[in-house]
Parts: sequence; structure tokens; C-alpha cells
Amino acid sequence: MINKTVMLACQPERAFILFTEQAGLWWPADRRHTKDPSSEIRIEAAGRFFERSSAGVEVELGVVLIFEPTRRLLLNWYPGTGPANPTQVEITFEAVGTGTRVTVRHNAGVAGQEVFERNAPAYARSWESVLDSLSLQG
Amino acid sequence: MNALDAIGNPIRRKILVELRRTPLPVGVFAKKFSVSRPSISRHLRVLQDAGLVVPSKRGTENVYAIRIQGFRDVQEFIDSFWDLALSQLEELAKR
Repeated sequence: MINKTVMLACQPERAFILFTEQAGLWWPADRRHTKDPSSEIRIEAAGRFFERSSAGVEVELGVVLIFEPTRRLLLNWYPGTGPANPTQVEITFEAVGTGTRVTVRHNAGVAGQEVFERNAPAYARSWESVLDSLSLQG
Repeated sequence: MNALDAIGNPIRRKILVELRRTPLPVGVFAKKFSVSRPSISRHLRVLQDAGLVVPSKRGTENVYAIRIQGFRDVQEFIDSFWDLALSQLEELAKR
């Protein structure tokens, strides 16, 4: 489980739009499927989560499971493990003062930590987020 | 192939699930998964190249074990994605 928090200097309404409609502006340039650093990346209410290169090539990056404007997103995430074995990412947006706290939890939510610890107590710490977050049991 | 791509294959994930209990030789997987030995060897080679398993000789056969550092690297890869992504989002929100 990867758990990250960032404070944004804008209201949740804008934070949510930046995250979903303008993902191409924050997505690391060297981690793009199309290898096009100026590709467009969109997370849509209708369920699509995809990348579109300047040349118009589209690649599905996952599926939007929950799209709650200004509050919450739940995504099946393909980068890294592919569509057959997506990982899961939950993003929440909370108003704090005049800003927004954005929390990202990257996790499979499939294999329980207890299964992992029972099977390999000695490895538990090192494997903590990795194997479980990559849906190893799935 | 990087570690994340290596983990993307279901047979390789099954291999890792077995290996996290104990180190094992190639033959065990071939029998267990009903997959040919050469095919298992190829999958193990991919995992080894990705830094996720490490072989050692036991008599005439290779025994494979998990390489913990390889998994730390995967975690760091995901971790660094989000560190960079969120810092860029932070800057974007200031504009």
C-alpha cells in the first residue's frame, strides 16, 4: 500500500478538475505509455481512464470505478501490471481551510495483509505494499 | 523487462507466490503448474533479469529464491511516480 498526501492551494472543485481533466499536466512525462511527453490523460465520469498522444493514438490506462466530483475517485490502474491484473488507486479530496488535501492510496485491496503475513512472516515487512498491491493473489 | 512488467504475467506471479514461502528448484514449478520445464525456465529467467529472484546451485540443479531488494525497487518505482505526480499537481494548483 502506497499512501501519499499533498495539500493543494485551491478548492476541492478545482483540485478535482485538475486531477481528472488535466491529468496530462501532472502525469510524469517519462512514465507515459505513448512516450509522448505532451500526451493528454483523462479520467472521465463515464468510466474511461486513458491517454491520447498528440498523433491521436489512444491507450486505456484503467477504468474509473467511482467518480464523485470534488470528493473521491476509485480507479482500476493498468500501468505496470496490465489490464488483466489491475492495481487499485483511491484518491480523496478534502477541503482544509482555503485549500484541498488530496490523498492517494495505491493498493490492490484483493490480497489481505494477513494472508501475506501468515505465508511469509519473515518477508512481511519488505513485501508489505508491493506484492499485495500488485494483486499477487488475484 | 522491468520488474513491474515481469510481475504482470500470471504464471510469474504464481511462481513468486510459491517462492515467498520457500526457495524452490525449476522442476517443482513445472509439475505444479502443468507448464513445460523450458517454459518455466524462461519465466524464471525473466524474473531473474528483473531482479526479483536469484538462483543458486544445489547439486546439479538451480534453486530459486526471492530477491527482496527487487521488490523494494518496485515499490520505489510506484512511490516515485506518485511523489513526482503529486508535486506537479501541487504546482499546477498554485497557478
